[in-house]
Amino acid sequence: MTSTRSTLTGLDARVRLRRGAIDIDVSLRAGAGEVVAVLGPNGSGKTTTVLALAGVLPLEGGHVRVGDELWEEVGRRRTPQERHVGLMLADSLLFPHLRAVDNVAYGPRSRGLPKGESRTRALDELDRVGLSALVHARPRELSSGQAARVALARALATRPSLLLLDEPLAALDPDTRARTRSDLAARLTAYDGVTVLVTHDPLDALTLADRLVFVEDGRVTQTGTPADVLREPRSAYAGTVVGLNLYAAHGDSHGHVAIEGGGVLVTTDPTEGRVWATVPPGAVSLHRHEPEGSARNAWPLRITDVTLQGQSARVGLAGELTLTAEVTLESVSALALHVGQAVWASVKATEVRTYPR
Amino acid sequence: MVGGGTGRRVGGRLVLGVPALLAVLLLVLPLLALLLRTDWSRLLADLATPTVWTALRLSLTTTSCTAALCLLLGTPLAWLLARSDHPGTRWLRALLTVPLVLPPVVGGVALLLTWGRNGILGGALSAFGIQIPFTTVAVVLAETFVSLPFYVLAVEGAMRGLDPRLEAVARTLGASELRYLRTVGLPLVLPGIASGLALAWARALGEFGATITFAGNFPGRTQTLPLLVYVELERDPQVATSISILLLAISVVVLGALRGRWLR
Repeated sequence: MTSTRSTLTGLDARVRLRRGAIDIDVSLRAGAGEVVAVLGPNGSGKTTTVLALAGVLPLEGGHVRVGDELWEEVGRRRTPQERHVGLMLADSLLFPHLRAVDNVAYGPRSRGLPKGESRTRALDELDRVGLSALVHARPRELSSGQAARVALARALATRPSLLLLDEPLAALDPDTRARTRSDLAARLTAYDGVTVLVTHDPLDALTLADRLVFVEDGRVTQTGTPADVLREPRSAYAGTVVGLNLYAAHGDSHGHVAIEGGGVLVTTDPTEGRVWATVPPGAVSLHRHEPEGSARNAWPLRITDVTLQGQSARVGLAGELTLTAEVTLESVSALALHVGQAVWASVKATEVRTYPR
Repeated sequence: MVGGGTGRRVGGRLVLGVPALLAVLLLVLPLLALLLRTDWSRLLADLATPTVWTALRLSLTTTSCTAALCLLLGTPLAWLLARSDHPGTRWLRALLTVPLVLPPVVGGVALLLTWGRNGILGGALSAFGIQIPFTTVAVVLAETFVSLPFYVLAVEGAMRGLDPRLEAVARTLGASELRYLRTVGLPLVLPGIASGLALAWARALGEFGATITFAGNFPGRTQTLPLLVYVELERDPQVATSISILLLAISVVVLGALRGRWLR
C-alpha cells in the first residue's frame, strides 16, 4: 500500500476568520484515529470552519497544524492540494460525468499516482464501503445513500491525514440515513487519521464521535465526550441536542434554584452559586388542576406546541418558565392537550439536577 | 356567473392570442415568402456558378476561423469572468456586450479606425508591410467582433452554473485549477460551449454590415454569401433568392444537428 502522507498524526487548529456577520474563533484538537463532532445551530460557523481547515477559505488568525506539518498560519498557507485532506459535503457532490470508480480515482490521479495504481486503489476503496457492484455506475444512477458512500470512498482514496465531513448524512432520507450511518461508523473505525464531523443531528454525534465540540455564534461553548455532554450540557443548544430542559440559574444551599429569566426550581441536589439546572422532559407531569402531594415544583403554564414522537408526545410549555414535557399518548388524549391550553406542570425535586456553571 | 367566467376566459385568450399570432406571422411569413418565391427548377443552376462557390467557400472558411477564435480566446475569457468577484468584472462584462448592440456598420467603422492604414494599430502594422483592411483576415476580424460576445456570454452563463463546491472538492483531492478546468469544468459546460459556438457561428455566417465596411466586397477575397446576395439583388433577384435559400439551408442543418446533440 502506497502512502501519500508522511506520518500519522493529530490535529491542532485554531480557526479565526470573519464570514458575513459572524466572527469565528474555534479551536479544535484531536488525536489520530479520533472523530470530533462539531455541533451547532445553522449559521454558527461550522461549515466555514471546515472550509478553512480544507484550505478553501484563508484564515485571518490562528493556525492549522496536523502532526508535525504546519498547514497554515497567518502569512503562510498551504493550498488545498498541498494538504493531505479529504472533504465530503452534504449532497455528495460527485463529478456527474465520471463513473463511480473514476470519481474515486480522481484524487490519486491528481496526486500523481499512475493510472493503474489509482484505479486499483479506487476499486479497493469502493469495496470497503460495500460498492464493488457499482464501480461503473454514473452518479445519476446511484441512490443518495450510494452516492454518499462513493463520496466517502473518494475523500479517503488520497489517504488524507484529516478527513472533513460536513453534514455527510443530511441529504439522505431517514431509512437510508440509519444504514449509511452504520456504514460510516464502520469505515471510520478503520481510518487512522483525524475526522472532523460537522452535524446538527444528535444521533450522528453520539454514535460516531469520540468528542463533541459545540459551536454557537462562532465560539466554542462546550467540549467533551458524548457521556460528559449527556450528563452535563452547558449551553441551551447542547441542552436541546441531548434533549434536556436546561436552565442557567443561581442556587443556594437549601436547594432553591433561581432561574435567570424567571422561575424557581426546588432540588434535592443543591449546588451553590452560578449553576446549570436540568429537568428531564420525561420527569414532567401534566395536570388539569393544581396538583396536591409530593411534587415541590408546580407551575401553571400554557401549551405552546405538541409534537408526536412514536408512542410519546413532546409538549412545549411557557409561562413563568419555559419547559418541555414528554408524556404518553394516553395522557395527551386523557387531558385533551392542545396548543393554547392552560395546564399545571409538576416535577419532583429529586429529578432536578444542578452543577456549577 | 359561469357564463361570465367563460367570457372572461375567452377574452383573456384573445388579449394574449392575437398578439402572439401576429408575432408568429411576422416571423414565419418572410420565411414562407422565401420558399414560395424560389424558382426551384433554377435553384441548382443558380447555385452551381463559380461566383457562388467562391463565396460559399469563403463564408465557410471565415466562419470556421471565427468559431475557432471564439473557442480559443472566448473560453478562457468566459472562465475568468465567471470566477471573478471583482467589482470591475461587471463593468468589463457590460463593455464586452457593446458589440452585441452596436449597429454592425458602426462596428465596421470602428474596426477601420483600429486596423486601417491610419488606425491605432494599423499604422504600426503597415510599417511592417501588413495590411488588414479589405483582406480575408478583415472578414474574420469583423465576424469575430460581432460574434465573440454571443459566445462569451453563453459560455460564461454555463460556467456560472457550476457548483463552486465541486472545485473545492477537486482542490482537496489534489487538482490544480487547470486540471480542474480540464477534467471537470470544461466537460460539464460542454453543452454551453456547443450552444455558444452555434450562436456565434450563425451570427458570423450572417454578418454583413461590419464586413462590407471594413473588408469591402471583393469576390474571392472578402465577398461572403450575404454580400453576394446583396450584389445579386441588384443584378438578378432570382439568383439572390436562390443563395438565400442556400444560407437558410446551411443554418437550419447546422443548428438542427447541434440541437439534437447539445441544445435543449
